[in-house]
Amino acid sequence: MAERRIKVIIAKPGLDGHDRGAKVVARALVEAGMEVVYLGLQQTPEAIVRAAVEEDADVIGLSILSGAHMSNFRRVRELMETAGLGDRLLTGGGIIPTKDQERLKEMGVAKVFGPGDDLMEIVEYIRLNARRASG
Amino acid sequence: MSVGPKLWNDFFKGGRLACARLISAVENDPDALPEILDRILPAQKGGVRIGVTGPPGVGKSTVTAALARRAVRGGHAVGVLAVDPTSPFSGGAFLGDRVRMQELGGDDCVFIRSMASREGHGGLSPATPYAADVLDAFGLDRIFIETVGVGQAELDVLDCSDLVILVLQPGTGDIIQALKAGIIEAADIILVNKSDLQGTEALLDSLRFLMDIAPVRKGRSLPSVLDASALQDRGMDAAAAEVERLIEDCVGSGRYREKRRSRLEQEIRSAIQKELWAGFSTLTGAEEDIRAAAEKLLTDRGSPYAYIRRASARIRIELVEEGASRVDKE
Amino acid sequence: MSTKNRELWEKRYEGSGLRDADFTSLSGRPLQPLYAPEDLGEFDPDARLGYPGDYPFTRGVHPSMYRGKMWTMRQFAGMGTPDQTNARYRFLLDKGQTGLSVAFDNPTLYGRDSDHALAAGEVGKTGVAVDTLADMERLFTGIPLDRVSTSMTINAPAAWIFAMFLANAEKRGIGFGALRGTLQNDILKEYIAQKEWIFPPEPHLRLITDLMAFCAAEVPQWNTISISGYHIREAGSTAAQELAFTLADGFCYIEHALAAGLDIEDFAPRLSFFFNAHLDFFEEIAKLRAARRIWARAMRERYGAKNPRSWLCRFHVQTAGCSLTAQQPEINIVRTALEALAGVLGGCQSLHTNSMDEALALPSEKAVEIALRTQQIIAYESGAANVIDPLGGSYYIEKLTNDLEAEAERYFRKIDELGGVVKAIEQGFFQREITRSAYEYQMALSRKKKFHVGVNEFVNPGQALEIPLLEIDEAVERDQIAFLRRTKAERDNGAVRDGLNALKRAAAEGRNLMPPLLDCARRYATLGETSDALTEVFGEYREQPFY
Repeated sequence: MAERRIKVIIAKPGLDGHDRGAKVVARALVEAGMEVVYLGLQQTPEAIVRAAVEEDADVIGLSILSGAHMSNFRRVRELMETAGLGDRLLTGGGIIPTKDQERLKEMGVAKVFGPGDDLMEIVEYIRLNARRASG
Repeated sequence: MSVGPKLWNDFFKGGRLACARLISAVENDPDALPEILDRILPAQKGGVRIGVTGPPGVGKSTVTAALARRAVRGGHAVGVLAVDPTSPFSGGAFLGDRVRMQELGGDDCVFIRSMASREGHGGLSPATPYAADVLDAFGLDRIFIETVGVGQAELDVLDCSDLVILVLQPGTGDIIQALKAGIIEAADIILVNKSDLQGTEALLDSLRFLMDIAPVRKGRSLPSVLDASALQDRGMDAAAAEVERLIEDCVGSGRYREKRRSRLEQEIRSAIQKELWAGFSTLTGAEEDIRAAAEKLLTDRGSPYAYIRRASARIRIELVEEGASRVDKE
Repeated sequence: MSTKNRELWEKRYEGSGLRDADFTSLSGRPLQPLYAPEDLGEFDPDARLGYPGDYPFTRGVHPSMYRGKMWTMRQFAGMGTPDQTNARYRFLLDKGQTGLSVAFDNPTLYGRDSDHALAAGEVGKTGVAVDTLADMERLFTGIPLDRVSTSMTINAPAAWIFAMFLANAEKRGIGFGALRGTLQNDILKEYIAQKEWIFPPEPHLRLITDLMAFCAAEVPQWNTISISGYHIREAGSTAAQELAFTLADGFCYIEHALAAGLDIEDFAPRLSFFFNAHLDFFEEIAKLRAARRIWARAMRERYGAKNPRSWLCRFHVQTAGCSLTAQQPEINIVRTALEALAGVLGGCQSLHTNSMDEALALPSEKAVEIALRTQQIIAYESGAANVIDPLGGSYYIEKLTNDLEAEAERYFRKIDELGGVVKAIEQGFFQREITRSAYEYQMALSRKKKFHVGVNEFVNPGQALEIPLLEIDEAVERDQIAFLRRTKAERDNGAVRDGLNALKRAAAEGRNLMPPLLDCARRYATLGETSDALTEVFGEYREQPFY
């Protein structure tokens, strides 16, 4: 059996152009043996989930530093359910206050990361939690 | 991992996630390949595979997107398989072609999938041709396969495409590299992209000269040489028209059919070879034996042929009647 | 100095045990344990240093520096609606801030109105929302624009935001000649680092030269660009890359303006710069000194400017946002203080100090007050402002300044080889360099070769956050959109349409766009309407990303 590679989509929704974190995480995931589709800037939630469907992605990672995380994560989560990707990992990072992190968890978003979180920890978290539908 | 009935059902009803999951299956589970192909191949609808290759940085993704857009406008359902190299060190891959085809993404008549080359050496993943088969069965009739041509190794894309477009750009000495690989004669269209840059005329002249002195190809005309700027959307109408013209030619001349026959032959041949080797090596413990022999040969500075003759002499092959049980080969 | 003494010291140094550490700068530059006169080699102070206010300005752009005038304490601020931001400005001015700096929200930065589809969830979140002249009016209510200098951090739609600013001044009877301030207006670094653009490079560059020409004639005290390295550094570059890429951008603007027929002495004195002050204290000071020397030499030798004011590299400094941690946020106050001190010892003209809670949210009043007080302590208690360029002559600082200058020169050659800044951007040169440095730094943190206190060392696990955070009410977006709708209903829409058409004609015909932009602003055309009109002529830019 060919070794299963974890497929990750990294995207930045909305109008925020600060992509240092997204790029660094993307690269670390590649170095850790994952296949990363980097969607880049100004992505709508619809485009992100559409890509996740076509790529059969195990993980969607959103990078949001603009403060618009609640609306974006909520929308992506909804679209994932409708598209049949409800069992995939939705995670991300940026500037997300602790209080909002709790609300995101309730929404079905996995752990999210912030400035200062260790890169290797992020990679390991994704490796361990990337889920797949079976059959 | 076998593909369940629900997945097949969704797939044949046009479910995009089901299509994506089938592609993942052919990528990740070679054992399931036979059962998948059993159902996919009969369902194929005559889709044309168009390979887009060339050195890094010439704008293949932009060219692919521009051609794909026009194919959609022409009423076709389009697939794009964008292949990027797997890192030989980490095994991971940066799949960065999709992001250059943004405008294409929203259309329902378009399905874009990124693939890593994995253990493929010729620019494609071994699963790419099967992924194209899946897209064909899904109902897409123009399937673009985009890959980096790394010099010697464009050959994979030649094998699995009905048509190959070689994309070059002026001013970077591409032509020498392409010459070495023989890809120039193997391509059907040579597209000089970024034609707004300096050096376009010089490159076009060199290419036309090459065409003048190139040997005749059996059953095929020489590649057309075109120039365009995909980013500025210039010259792409002519390129798209040429693609369609060549497709007609390919189907009409029988090359389309011949290519598929050749692929099936290759598939059968390589599967049987695998069977033979699997049988042989388990019987004789060949792998360990061969390694030990090689080790000894290295120390003794010997030639392997004595060993080869001895091993071959012990092989006797028998074909049994269909349906009868198999006897171990010795 | 005696080589015998040096050898003795070297032996004793190697003999003593060393800590298990990297001894490189934050940027990864290997550092010697000691710098001595022999490290400077042939050092000519007249050529390399000069005196403050004199070519090559290594020691400072003014003869008296902080003895003559303290640097401007200019805290970047903006949040929510223009009314809320206005209140913050008056708070800051009250607390002793000496200049204003406007932070805009994301939709505004991208030239979009608050009711645009992509703006949802982002209105007023990272800065103030400005849609029309009416918002400018609210933003600066009660603020004497002729006495307070105003910096506006905006790039892609800078020209039409500036037009609204001018229209507001005009309505209040303030002559353009009295206005002092800066527009960031640095589009090149957007393609390189911050990613806030609308059109492809050429139309943006043309808007910049239009604005320069307009200001040279009409708004002579205005700094037309703040050529920025801050964002390049925040994106993960090294100090040398920040230095080189920023100055290279500067050269590109100069060349563009000259090609457009402007006289260098007309616009060069109004160019200014914006650098980052990061954690590595000495590297930052050396970087700033090197910037002045490199720029002065380029302006005089390469571009032939004769007026000494054209040779000046005047700059604003902001302490490094990316150095702040969400963990144990109070210690960010210490980081900011050290970084600010580096900015001052590096001779900045104005300074912004970050607030301790900025890794988490926009700064609260308490946090921003501490940030301002930090500057005031440096200025009035520490003695740092008493002597000009106090670290000049330090062997370490002079060697580091030389080294950074040499590294920058190597980058300039590389950029020239690629065909200049715009071509290098198209080929992804800067983006790749920056991404590489960012990744290497992150890996160094992971491997504990570099430290971030509270994050990868000296961690307080499970610590709860105690600081009161600023929250932007969801009502802001609603209120801003309602206000926008009212403004659109109450204005003369026919006049707006005419104004936008005139703008499009001027854009297509290659005329200076500032006068038609000013007209549109006066008529309360919105930011988004103006952006859309220009997009029709100039097209939209799509990034070809590089890693």
